[in-house]
Amino acid sequence: MKKQVLVLFLWLGTMASLIAQRTVSGTITDDKKEPLIGASVLVKGTSTGTVSDVSGAFSFTIPSNSTTLIISYTGYASKEIALGASNTYNVMLEQEAIDLTDIVIVGYGTQSKKELTGSVSKVTSETIARLPVTGVDQALQGQAPGVQVTSASGTPGASVSIRVRGPSSISAGNQPLYVVDGIPINTGNYSQIGVGGQQTNALADLNPADIESIDILKDAAAASIYGSRASNGVVIITTKRGKQQKTQISLNTYYGTQEVWKTIDPLTGPEYVALLQEGVKARYGATFIPSQLGLRNLDADPSTYPSTNWFNEIFQSAPISQTDLNFSGGTDRTKFFVSGSVFDQGGVVRGSSFNRYSFRMNLDNLVTDKFKIGVSTGFSRSHNTRIQNDNNIYGVLSTALLLGSHIPVLNADGTYGRDANASIENPVANAVEPTYDVYTNRLLSNIYGELTLLEGLTFRTSFSVDYLNLRDDRFTPASHIQAAGVNGRGEQGISADLNLVNENYFSYRKAFGKLNLDALVGNSVQRSQFESLYGVGENYPGKTIRELNAASVKKDVTSSKSAWGLNSYFSRLNLNWAGKYFVSGSVRADGSSRFGANNRWGVFPSASAAWRLSEENFFPKSKLLSEVKLKASWGRRGNQDIANFASRALIAPGANYLQRAGLAPTQLGNPNLTWEEREDIDLGLEIGLFESKLQLTVDAYQGTTNQLLLNRPLVGASGFTGIQENIGSIRNKGIDIGLSTTNIETKNILWTTNFNISFFNNEILKLAGTPFAAGFASWVAEGEALGSFRGYRTVGIFQTQAEIDALDKKAKELTGRSTAVYQSTLTKPGDIQFKDINNDGVITSDDQEILGDANPNFYGGVTNNIQAYGFDLSFFFQYSIGNFVFNNTRAFSEGMNGVFGQANTVKNRWTPQNTNTTMPRAVYGDPNNNRRVSDRFVEDASYVRLKNVTLGYTFPTKILQKIKMRSARIYVTGQNLLTFTDYSGFDPEVSTFGETNTAPGTDFLTFPQSRSLLFGLNIGF
Amino acid sequence: MVIAAFGFFQACDNNLELEPFTALDASVGFKTKQDVDAALLGAYNALQNSNYFGLQLQVLPDLYADNINHTGTFPTYAQIFNRQVLADNSNIGGLWNQVYIGVNRANNVIASVPTVKDPSFNANNAIGEARLLRAFHYFNLVTLFGGSPAGFNKSGGLGVPIYTVPTLSAEDAAPKARASEEEVWKLILEDIDFAVANLLATNGNGRANKNVALALKARVHAVRNEWAQADAAATEVINSKRHTLLTGANFQNIWLSQNSTEAIWELQFDINNTNSIAFWYYPTANGGRNEFTSSNSLRDAHEAGDIRRVVNVSAAPANKTIKYTRINGTDNVLLIRLAEMHLIRAEAYANLNKTAESLAELNIIRKRAGLSDATETTSAGLINAIIKERRVEFAHEGLRWLDLRRTGRWNATGLTEDFRSRWPIPLREVQTSAGLITQNTGY
Repeated sequence: MKKQVLVLFLWLGTMASLIAQRTVSGTITDDKKEPLIGASVLVKGTSTGTVSDVSGAFSFTIPSNSTTLIISYTGYASKEIALGASNTYNVMLEQEAIDLTDIVIVGYGTQSKKELTGSVSKVTSETIARLPVTGVDQALQGQAPGVQVTSASGTPGASVSIRVRGPSSISAGNQPLYVVDGIPINTGNYSQIGVGGQQTNALADLNPADIESIDILKDAAAASIYGSRASNGVVIITTKRGKQQKTQISLNTYYGTQEVWKTIDPLTGPEYVALLQEGVKARYGATFIPSQLGLRNLDADPSTYPSTNWFNEIFQSAPISQTDLNFSGGTDRTKFFVSGSVFDQGGVVRGSSFNRYSFRMNLDNLVTDKFKIGVSTGFSRSHNTRIQNDNNIYGVLSTALLLGSHIPVLNADGTYGRDANASIENPVANAVEPTYDVYTNRLLSNIYGELTLLEGLTFRTSFSVDYLNLRDDRFTPASHIQAAGVNGRGEQGISADLNLVNENYFSYRKAFGKLNLDALVGNSVQRSQFESLYGVGENYPGKTIRELNAASVKKDVTSSKSAWGLNSYFSRLNLNWAGKYFVSGSVRADGSSRFGANNRWGVFPSASAAWRLSEENFFPKSKLLSEVKLKASWGRRGNQDIANFASRALIAPGANYLQRAGLAPTQLGNPNLTWEEREDIDLGLEIGLFESKLQLTVDAYQGTTNQLLLNRPLVGASGFTGIQENIGSIRNKGIDIGLSTTNIETKNILWTTNFNISFFNNEILKLAGTPFAAGFASWVAEGEALGSFRGYRTVGIFQTQAEIDALDKKAKELTGRSTAVYQSTLTKPGDIQFKDINNDGVITSDDQEILGDANPNFYGGVTNNIQAYGFDLSFFFQYSIGNFVFNNTRAFSEGMNGVFGQANTVKNRWTPQNTNTTMPRAVYGDPNNNRRVSDRFVEDASYVRLKNVTLGYTFPTKILQKIKMRSARIYVTGQNLLTFTDYSGFDPEVSTFGETNTAPGTDFLTFPQSRSLLFGLNIGF
Repeated sequence: MVIAAFGFFQACDNNLELEPFTALDASVGFKTKQDVDAALLGAYNALQNSNYFGLQLQVLPDLYADNINHTGTFPTYAQIFNRQVLADNSNIGGLWNQVYIGVNRANNVIASVPTVKDPSFNANNAIGEARLLRAFHYFNLVTLFGGSPAGFNKSGGLGVPIYTVPTLSAEDAAPKARASEEEVWKLILEDIDFAVANLLATNGNGRANKNVALALKARVHAVRNEWAQADAAATEVINSKRHTLLTGANFQNIWLSQNSTEAIWELQFDINNTNSIAFWYYPTANGGRNEFTSSNSLRDAHEAGDIRRVVNVSAAPANKTIKYTRINGTDNVLLIRLAEMHLIRAEAYANLNKTAESLAELNIIRKRAGLSDATETTSAGLINAIIKERRVEFAHEGLRWLDLRRTGRWNATGLTEDFRSRWPIPLREVQTSAGLITQNTGY
């Protein structure tokens, strides 16, 4: 049989060569007469073809019986040219009206935007390419309505919080599901060592330059095809693939520097010591000196102390660069994309950096006309140099704020300056002495085969692997106080996560007259297996050898292993009548190993419809109003992002005693545990005006998540503090508006604007039991938004003892206790009066209330792109309005309790001479607790930020041709050039608790965002 | 690849039926001798947590009294030091939860032992250990959170919720109202009496034995002002001759050498099972956190020549204690030692108006400390002297605040509001039980 086929092919080939031939030639240009390089020229119905050269010219031999040439070029409408007697054909291609941005990638397929009944936002490679960011998540900021992106900090490689249409969960995950080339990938932090709120981010393993497009499935209609993982939206990332064209080589590179855009002014050393002495006297009497309290080295004349501005010692100007080289091209049967890239980012705080090498190869091959195979493979190696951060007395920035400025960087003998009265390490020592490297190897690979069974019916199967291997290497030498007691301390760990997916599905797309049908049915099986090892070593021979094998004491060796599995079936049906009426329905059934035996399987349906009013005959045809579409959808989706064995009653090892193994119960079981379920309705309107030069989309939605996975608090007296249950519900409602306009479009000038704004409101409808605190000031309570802050209200500053005495007298009357006082027995003039909210005469923990929340009233971005005469200018503002931040840093830097470094704002403190102020008196130990959580530190952190400005120049093709180049562009980019905000901390975009659900918008000693200036070059051959 | 795919699908047959790798499903329970042994070790392990005797239970009461100053950064410790504790203080909340974790682990052992059908298993000794642990937990709870503002064993004294069976399900974990102080004492004494009757004379270092149970019994009766019983129990421990006082230069070796003959019950730590007590005390230059420092008032409480002064207020590092010196976390913790038996007996005799016997007992301890004999002749004078002696004898061991409270001296350290003599029930507990667990008045 095989032999016969071979003979047949040989025969056909011979036949072809016997047929008469002719040579045709010509030039291919765009509408501006610029040559199109690498355009495909194909004889229709054959595989005979060529591509145009650098001057747009082509010439090739074709069979003389050929009738038609097909000329195609990416982004341009293909043209068919009937062959006549002439052998010369000059062809002008026009830019495609429907460009790629009109195709959106939905789960297991694609749809044109016109057909879409769900809510999907697309971000393209051009947008991503403009932003010098570490990870793809950061590139989404301000780009899509309904997608709120907050960088937790400026830490290189750190986490980013993404909320698609509000936070929908309290204790399970709130990040969207990421699907890269069909692989639902693992995200989050895999490091085993906590160094503060800023964690590692597995998404940073993906090179943004490899990405063709990002499609964000926002509503249930679009996302529920991903079932139990879709409640926070789905981000579909598609990497670049080869096209049928001459191989194109692209080299993109940029280099720049970053620095902090704002700093905090500390007190000088003498001012600090004077403040401390004043505080000691205020507490213990005018003749009291610090040494009487046991405080050392603080009795001398303040002016004799040195002064160190720690910020100057730890902030630095840091480089950032990326170089990316890719080859892309293919024939009509095989296409490829190959890329390699190097990204390097220093941290603006000393001691931190991130770099990444990545490689990618994407291939597609038509085995036969009906059978296609392909592979998408990306590998990356990243190296993150971490420092301790945030709420941490060994953090670099943390200690720069916390350590008094009266301490020198180095003592006269060359040792680090340290405060004899505090345990705070020298910030420079924190930056320089310990090393903490995290190495991540990541392989993302997917192979697929796609078989066309009938016209319109295809079967696709794919196997994917997402393998992540992370190594933690941390060493703290004895020269750092944290390891001084143990003569050096090392920690090393390895974590690995293997995630395997198999997907199989049939899709069927066919038109029956005016009825267009698009159907999908399939299944998927996924298994993710996690393993880790970790060990600690102490007592090292110096600090040169930093491996555990050098430690004389090895301890705390742990290992872990865990897994989850997900079996799924899914189906979708899209129908449309004449491009006017659209209905769509999808359903997915998921079975998850994470849930209780009684509730393992769930079904997640959705239904949606759209009506393109403008296609109706009765709709007046006008250039003004060119498109009107109405949409409505309903759907249900789930969240299974909880611990792998959360439903099980567990007895855990590790409760050891006497060097013998002990066991102890650690978790109560709940066999009914199941996923969170979010139900959404979405109403949408799309309008195109002036021949779609102005496109407006408006979506209004309401989504309620029920059966929230919550740790229902149990009384600690039971021996457990909580049990996982499905209780609680949370609601998000909002309006997302996107507006894109083409303001000017002439032969030489193109100016477009993209604007988006999202309003949302979040409310916790039901909780398990009582409200609970989170973070430093966050409060989770029914009827409030997730991310609310709670604390005391300030009334003002006590000016006289008489005011205090009057309140104390009233306290005794109201409580009936002879010893009762309003606030504290040590309250004195200059202390803050807090509000007695419950009017019981005394300030207790009940006198706290909600002080604001971290959610913005509205947020979004606006991008302007102007192209004129080869120049391109874009500026991108991003904003968030109405969000509050709890500035815990100030509770320390303005605490004046005698322990921490102080900001120079405390110079305006209350003294008998300076009474007209909101800053309380300095008093050692702060007995009135002036620095408690109160509205003092809850600040409006609204901001508008000029996130990116880019000015570029693209050299004319005519010039480049002479040096055999396809394209060349140079540009300069400024990142975070301007920030308009009243927020007093380093940066209003901040989260000390990283990617947290319950305590967003907290600022405590957090690494700020940087401002950067970059120069870049894009070259194509 | 085909083989790989085949293997993958094999794995998928039970893709949804995964078992935990790093823990046991509790439905397996504690059934064999090995299980119960492990559970009993786990019950001891509960004491080692930093929220218990791994730090807080000896430091917080001394910080709240007058032996320790707060020199660190944690506002929750500052609250305790300033004696302005709020009901949501996380150190106190953590302590409460951890003690009850200990209760539950002990209850698990008590309930599981009868299911073991192994003739080589000494069931009563195991139950005795668990019940002694449970008594100790409830003793710590009732003395910190319960009683009356003016002391203990007075009418109307409040107790804490009592759980005596293991919590195996959400239903078992339902909140219970606070028992009366008397009910808690009753449980404690029943458990101790069982332990006294059933525990072996030795169970190895670090574990409960008959003398541990008797010593705890002496302490319980002392707190309850039941001096004849306190005397009897303390006397039985002393007369067992299994413990001796370390004298002279050897005194420091109670802590520096560990497991000395003075120890009655010494909680054992090792390099793989560490605490962070020395770390929290020690100055940064020694790799510590400098959170706690011996107070000047403690220093000044020592008479000239007292050999305990350098132990309680160390010279290097300055103003720490040599009771906790191992920054690597291997300091054992003395839960009960012989000196306490002598001082309980001294106090018992003073209260029973046997002043000469009282003075003799007190002077055993004073002599060991290198001090001249006391010469008090009245009961009141003796009790004052004993409390003063106990302060320097047991500094940093977590007994100071209890001594002040049980003898009506709660205001001796400048506290003016009597409600503050009881710590607040953790706010979370009151809220989670919807008020069923009542807060101590004043908080």
